[in-house]
Amino acid sequence: MFAAENGLKGDPRLQAISDAIRVVPHFPKPGIMFQDITTLLLDHKAFKDTVDIFVDRYRDMNISVVAGVEARGFMFGPSIALAIGAKFVPLRKPKKLPGEVIAEAYELEYGTDCLEMHVGAVQPGERAIAIDDLVATGGTLSAAIRLLERVGAQVVECACVIGLREVKGQRRLDGKPLYILVEPREIDGCY
Amino acid sequence: MRRVLIFSSPNPITPQLSTPPTPPVNAVFPIRNCRWIGPSTSFQPPVLRLHNYQRTPTPLLCSATDSVTNQTKMASQDEQDPRISKISSVIRVIPNFPKPGILFQDITTLLLDTKAFRDTIDLFVERYREKDISVVAGIEARGFIFGPPIALAIGAKFVPLRKPNKLPGEVISEEYSLEYGTDKIEMHVGAMQAGERALIIDDLVATGGTLCAAIRLLERVGVHVVECACVIELPELKGRERLGDTPLFVLVSSA
Repeated sequence: MFAAENGLKGDPRLQAISDAIRVVPHFPKPGIMFQDITTLLLDHKAFKDTVDIFVDRYRDMNISVVAGVEARGFMFGPSIALAIGAKFVPLRKPKKLPGEVIAEAYELEYGTDCLEMHVGAVQPGERAIAIDDLVATGGTLSAAIRLLERVGAQVVECACVIGLREVKGQRRLDGKPLYILVEPREIDGCY
Repeated sequence: MRRVLIFSSPNPITPQLSTPPTPPVNAVFPIRNCRWIGPSTSFQPPVLRLHNYQRTPTPLLCSATDSVTNQTKMASQDEQDPRISKISSVIRVIPNFPKPGILFQDITTLLLDTKAFRDTIDLFVERYREKDISVVAGIEARGFIFGPPIALAIGAKFVPLRKPNKLPGEVISEEYSLEYGTDKIEMHVGAMQAGERALIIDDLVATGGTLCAAIRLLERVGVHVVECACVIELPELKGRERLGDTPLFVLVSSA
């Protein structure tokens, strides 16, 4: 669900967050309008507001795990984890994590990729959120959900700064609620 | 054996320090190796050029003189902050990763300890708040874990320094040497302005190659790198010397 539909309708912070995101046309390939959150990170107030909105939502939900998807999930997840008193668990591309891992494959447009998590990072019964900067098809986040569930964690919600239109209608991803702050910027609004 | 202490530069950061202090004329300074690195030079990387990991410790890697120098630095520090030993104790060491003989310093276990992770961030924030730092630059990917919380707490922007072809906009790149071959880090054009005061953050400093490349990148756009900050230092790999004039601050030194 979008934040604006869930208690934050008309919240001026959401407009500022959306305005701070830059659209880069034709990256990584023609036809893709890439939503660049690095410009959001340059706007201290908007970046802080982004984290605060997630923190306000999750602080009283007994979340003990924030799992962040490499690499842009690392830019948002730890701050949220620190503020709500949860651990931060990085979900990484293959061969980056040094210890024993479990791996989950997921579909790309062409081929497959893999997400890994350290064994022992998450205990059965823990309540977790999975975070990434953007959800498109949901393939990566679905893999994140499967990883967490395989070790017995309960995935309470998936959280993203940006959610593509196709996802909006679903409101859930593999049965898990989705919480999204903003929709993608259109090309007219880019820098 | 892991020595647990805080290393800091001999000169504390103050907003008035816009350039590093002028060294005494008759002093001998370590060669600033990072200026020499590049594919066009004949500089030979030392045998122990490693990135983000260390070899199994061998004896006598430091000369007696180096030991004395380190002793002097240690003695001149404030008494160890009690949070440091806990932080050190929750970092996991993984032998033989990514290859045999390497002892990998795994900070993911630190991130699982909410108090130790909070303390790690607090120690950096306490050092850098109210020092007029407007930019925290974090090196992909583990620098992305520590950098943003620090940036948010001190009121600075966060700038990711990334591997090639990850950043979508116009970038500037800086090449640096690896044990075999070279790599590059990139930064978005326009992320920083000339005259800004910056920190560079990574989880660990080994040879200092990546940090040196990051310093060059920021200095190319006219930014003043106030300090490099890492959770862990591998002192045997001499990254601190390689950073030359740029101070290095670490929480844990792993010998």
